[in-house]
Amino acid sequence: MKRRRLKHDFKNIFLSVAVLGSLVSACTNSSPNDNSSTNQDDPKNSDQVTLTLLAYDSFTPSVNIFDSFTLETGVKVEIALGGDAGELVTKAALTAGNPQGDVLWGVDNTLLSRAIEAKLFSAYETRNINELDQSARKLVANNEVAPVDTGDVCLNYDVKWFADRKIAPPLTLRALSSANYANLLVVPSPITSSSGLAFMLATIAEFGEDGWGEYWQQLKQNGVLIVDGWNEAYYTEFSGSSGKGDRPIVVSYGSSPPAEMIYASPKPATAPTAVAALTCYRQVEFAGVLRGTKHEREAQLLIDYLTGIKFQEDLPLTLFVYPANTKAKLPAEFLKYSLRPELPLQIDPELIAKNRTTWLDTFTNMVLR
Amino acid sequence: MINAYRHTSKWLVIVPVIAMLVFVVAPVLNIFSMAIQIDSFALLTTPTTRNVVWFTTWQAIISTIMVLLFAIPIAAITANFDFFGRRMLISLISVPFILPTVVVGVAFLELLPTSIHRSALAIIIAHIYFNFGLVVRIISNRWQQIHPYLDDVARTLGASRTRLFLTVTLPLLKKSLRSAGLLVFLMCFTSYGVVRILGGPAKSTIETEIYFQAMQLGDVSGALVLSISQLVVVGVLILLTTQFGTTNSAEFGQTVYSRIRRPQNLGQKLFIASIALMSTFAVLAPLVSVVRRSILVGERINFFAWHVIFTDPEIFKSLTTSLKYAIFTIAVSTTIGLFSACAIVYGSTRYKFLNILTALPVVVSAVTLGLGLIITFDVNPIDWRGAWLMMPIAHCLVAIPIVMRIISPTIRDLPNGLRDASQTLGATSWQMWRTIDLRIMQPALLTAAAVACAVSLGEFGASSFLVRRNNETLPLMISRLLGRPGEIIQAQAYAIATLLIVACVAIIGVVDHFGTDKRAI
Repeated sequence: MKRRRLKHDFKNIFLSVAVLGSLVSACTNSSPNDNSSTNQDDPKNSDQVTLTLLAYDSFTPSVNIFDSFTLETGVKVEIALGGDAGELVTKAALTAGNPQGDVLWGVDNTLLSRAIEAKLFSAYETRNINELDQSARKLVANNEVAPVDTGDVCLNYDVKWFADRKIAPPLTLRALSSANYANLLVVPSPITSSSGLAFMLATIAEFGEDGWGEYWQQLKQNGVLIVDGWNEAYYTEFSGSSGKGDRPIVVSYGSSPPAEMIYASPKPATAPTAVAALTCYRQVEFAGVLRGTKHEREAQLLIDYLTGIKFQEDLPLTLFVYPANTKAKLPAEFLKYSLRPELPLQIDPELIAKNRTTWLDTFTNMVLR
Repeated sequence: MINAYRHTSKWLVIVPVIAMLVFVVAPVLNIFSMAIQIDSFALLTTPTTRNVVWFTTWQAIISTIMVLLFAIPIAAITANFDFFGRRMLISLISVPFILPTVVVGVAFLELLPTSIHRSALAIIIAHIYFNFGLVVRIISNRWQQIHPYLDDVARTLGASRTRLFLTVTLPLLKKSLRSAGLLVFLMCFTSYGVVRILGGPAKSTIETEIYFQAMQLGDVSGALVLSISQLVVVGVLILLTTQFGTTNSAEFGQTVYSRIRRPQNLGQKLFIASIALMSTFAVLAPLVSVVRRSILVGERINFFAWHVIFTDPEIFKSLTTSLKYAIFTIAVSTTIGLFSACAIVYGSTRYKFLNILTALPVVVSAVTLGLGLIITFDVNPIDWRGAWLMMPIAHCLVAIPIVMRIISPTIRDLPNGLRDASQTLGATSWQMWRTIDLRIMQPALLTAAAVACAVSLGEFGASSFLVRRNNETLPLMISRLLGRPGEIIQAQAYAIATLLIVACVAIIGVVDHFGTDKRAI
């Protein structure tokens, strides 16, 4: 008796699942607010394609930058922000083959191997390929992604702070471990920040796999402050920027000094911050067509646009990075104050992919806790 | 079980069951079956994991003990004395519990000296702040069920006040202390936002570690293994709390005695005044510091930020988005919560499993659920990954367990005699439900709706995961603005935080004025 009732209940449940399921699908198909690009089968949209460009949170190009792309191709672009670069790649890896968008912007050289192993991208050789930075192109074997910008993660220091005290600013990584610079350095954590990761890789490139641990022990004894993200390090703890921090040395970008100059009012006579050229680690960012997109051709056109002159020339003053397209002209102000090291530190993406977890684990146990 | 509604309750149970199966169980099973690998279990034995588990546990234990220590004296005065502003004090200390994590996080960053930023101490202070009001309420309610006669007897027999407290009151409060303690431990054990904002990179709980494993290291399988271990701990604790919860519920309907009297001597007055003032100060200090930052730009008072948040189209849009989602959450979670509460109370004891099923969204780590949702709703006709709907649905999932637990005690404690009488008088069961049960439930429904609103307004974890461009809510906007340089922009973040504080105060006001049974306060 009891058993029969149970069975009856289950029948009810299943029946209602079926009813609810069909209701739900009816609702979603007619939902006017559904702006997902993956719903392109909807007849209302068939005349105009809207591409979804997945990007990290700090992707802030000029507001109307895609207007001319829409004008040329008739394709609209919608940007979907998906957390930081790490989150972006994790989510894309889980949905590989049935992506949440059509094009992904923001895989960098530390994440590249992971992204390629997960088969996120559908290879495409952009028509701008020959204009793109040689060394950046070499990082991609089969055109899975195209390099879109490069930048350098370097030590920045507060010029006035060092001048006032008549102390020489640190010019090498080695110098940071000396007692002169005790309690002066603030670093974003490599666990939670891509610039922090780049800095950790710089120390590995400089001191080797055997020496970098010891170096960080010294930094720790020397009072290095490790914070969550670059924003917090640069804007809160660093003394040379708008924050009221009390640490005059920070891990930031080679292009941070122009940002300080260009967006300051009133403009200072000399740059308030400077870069230690020998401490720079080269970051390269890539964009690619996501495998499984329903608009492969349009997505390829967008890659051409992202690597093209117009978009590339927008990058220096909006994202504060160097265009990957060598034909793109750089604004004079940007050139004047930013620093481009001749021989930046670098580690092979495959070596990074192989050791990333171990290195971060070592860092966590040795330095953080 | 109530026979008159028995048939209907079979149908009622379907709605919450489907909602949970579709939006929680299926996504979680899906992500587990897709991503987990057996060798990831090795992760559980690494020193990193051991450190994380150890830190998670000890900070939760310390936080719980501290919360209880702070809450008992406050409960002592609210349960025993009548004084000016008593009701106000009870409302006020409840505010932190419903404040958005982001708001409390930035408030403490502002208030605490920089020397204790990024420390375990900062995390524990915030945990105490969040939870002590809830604990005061739980203990104070139980305290008022202790017959004052017991105190009189003990005193007549010559027991000192301390002895009375230790040998009579405390043993009687033990059960409520234990269930309140378990609840707080659970909150602190699974804490995410507070740890991320105040703990800095060195402090990691299991919940934050799940995030790092999945997002920063790209090891989803490892993250799932961690989330299983968390699930086990939390699951056991939840079982314990629901067990205690049921024994407690027997007391819920118990008579509340009028223990409350005017303070009799100067000593008592001083005791009450000092506790009341200190707790008021403790609640207000972080909030005031937020308000202060919203109108202070470089030592000068400036209302520019306030002007901006109502005129800037992007910020104003997030305001309307938040309101829209709050309304959606109120409607949906109150309905489903009502259905499951009714099913559990009216229906056969088999439906008790709903208690556990609806607790799932809270038990499963947000990252696991978020990843599950992303990979589950990705085939037509339920390709919702881009749809705005996912975020308010996530808000509802978080709100339903709370809503259900607010509603169910009121109908459970309703004496059957009332229903019998109405049935004898010829009322249909629908009439009976509408005129008796629904009437009695009204205050609880209002409370539930208000709390659902607070949950939706403040939800951050799942939202940050499911957000698309153009549907940022206020907490997401706060975190985005705080990431940008410049004092004027930061002030805007604090202005939004102030708005959310005002909303939470208003919600508590509504709850305490219209919502709860007055006797229970």
